[in-house]
Amino acid sequence: MAERLIVEAADLRKTYDGVEALRGLNLQVPAGSICGFLGRNGAGKTTTIKILLGMARPTSGIARVFGLAPDSPKTSVEIRRRTGFVSEEKELYGYMTVEELIRFTAAFFPQWRADLQQRYLRNFDLPPNRKAKLLSRGMRTKLALLLALCRGAELLLLDEPTSGLDPAMADEILQVLVAHVADGETTVFFSSHQIAEIEQIADRVAIIDRGRAVLSGALDELRANFRRIQLVFDGDAPKTSFRSAGVERVQRSGRVLTVFSSKGAEQIIEEARAMNPVSVDAGPVSLKEIFLETVTAEE
Amino acid sequence: MLWYNAWLETRWRFLIGLALLLCSVVATVLLYPQLLKLIPLAPTNGSGELAQKIRESVELLRQYRGYVWSKWFGDNLLKMATLFAILLGTGGVLSGRAAMFTLSMPISRSRLLGIRAATGLAELFILVFIPSLFIPLLSPAIRQSYGVGTVLIHSACVFVVAAAFFGMTLLLSTIFSDVWRPLLIALAIAVVIGIHDEIFYRQPYTVFRVMSGESYFRGGQMPWGGLLLSAIVSAVMYYGAVAKLARRDF
Repeated sequence: MAERLIVEAADLRKTYDGVEALRGLNLQVPAGSICGFLGRNGAGKTTTIKILLGMARPTSGIARVFGLAPDSPKTSVEIRRRTGFVSEEKELYGYMTVEELIRFTAAFFPQWRADLQQRYLRNFDLPPNRKAKLLSRGMRTKLALLLALCRGAELLLLDEPTSGLDPAMADEILQVLVAHVADGETTVFFSSHQIAEIEQIADRVAIIDRGRAVLSGALDELRANFRRIQLVFDGDAPKTSFRSAGVERVQRSGRVLTVFSSKGAEQIIEEARAMNPVSVDAGPVSLKEIFLETVTAEE
Repeated sequence: MLWYNAWLETRWRFLIGLALLLCSVVATVLLYPQLLKLIPLAPTNGSGELAQKIRESVELLRQYRGYVWSKWFGDNLLKMATLFAILLGTGGVLSGRAAMFTLSMPISRSRLLGIRAATGLAELFILVFIPSLFIPLLSPAIRQSYGVGTVLIHSACVFVVAAAFFGMTLLLSTIFSDVWRPLLIALAIAVVIGIHDEIFYRQPYTVFRVMSGESYFRGGQMPWGGLLLSAIVSAVMYYGAVAKLARRDF
């Protein structure tokens, strides 16, 4: 049976004043997954999230959330009713207290989770009577997360949820997210340029670079498919090209030829052996290496 | 809760405006006896346009009705209502730093703007009508009287035209993402209109003449044409703001 997709984008393009922020983005986020949206600064992560929430309109292409179009005012409201959102800056109404902000937000969501509200207020140690403008960045992040998590949302869209936090607080936020998702059927789509945190909590990843998704899929599958194959020769490594599918990059350095593959490592190794190397060594690659290889390949 | 939020965002502008207008109306009424004593000192014998204007002003001030109209509805309230209509229209519905948070709520942009506009207009209504109603209340203290009906008619004229300034600023606030440009542009437009009205003060239907309800004061005729035009301008500005906000990227 086909996976139910919560977020879909096909050939999504967005241009701001002649600058292309998205250049044909394709994206699929299945229900129940935690999908890390990885990319460098300015890659188009925030623009994508804004389009998914109806905050910006695509120049062309299709975006769907719960099968609904976010660029239609009516369906956009329905999407937001079912979505929790944390913006990168975590800007809230500074003139409202923590308690007022909770009351304000809860009024829009009939499925507001009062039980979670109490739990997170306690766990995050948020002072109910303090104005949002007087909260530290970490506390503001926690409050923004509380306001997103308690909506009873089916989808959490989080834009750099841990940016600006110290490692301990970032870890605390990630743990809360994992625990929250484990409790229910929530799908999480969060952007980040921190590879470690995506490896820590995501089961899927979509890598975006210069407005295009350059790689996406289940994290385990990516780790299983991507390989670095190193061939060592007696003399200088030969200048050669591979016929096998899945060869992403070939690098020559003295006696060593390094092949970076995204699939079919066995076939590539077989082809490599025909070149009579002294040794052939195939090893797994980390998400960081996958990211750097795919992003570098784009360049 | 959106009403509450709109109130929180605009309350200081509103409260400062209300305090200033209340002080101003009290001073306007209570200073009338002192002003009456100064009238004989006014130079009314000259010739030329300036002397003519001075004579007209002095004639107005001799009667309490004329004094209230020229000092309050034609001057203090008119200027302050214009200023606070512009101030209440700035800040926009989604120009603050928390715009993304607001936009993540399950509510349409047109409704957000509608609530913001309605809150601003309600505040403007109070700013115009409540201080003005102090005139009939305070007048007996200086042995004068002023009709509530007259207050309501002049206040309605002030409110309808001020609402057009409010609508204009609201539209500018949806066009520009900052607070200062809409404020400065709207103030500049108000000043230009004011200068135009001063230069062409003989024309019967200038903006601020309609706003002060001069035709009603002088001849008992409501400036229906001007008021209708102001209401149309307000509606056009509001729908322009809705259309602009619907298309805007954040």
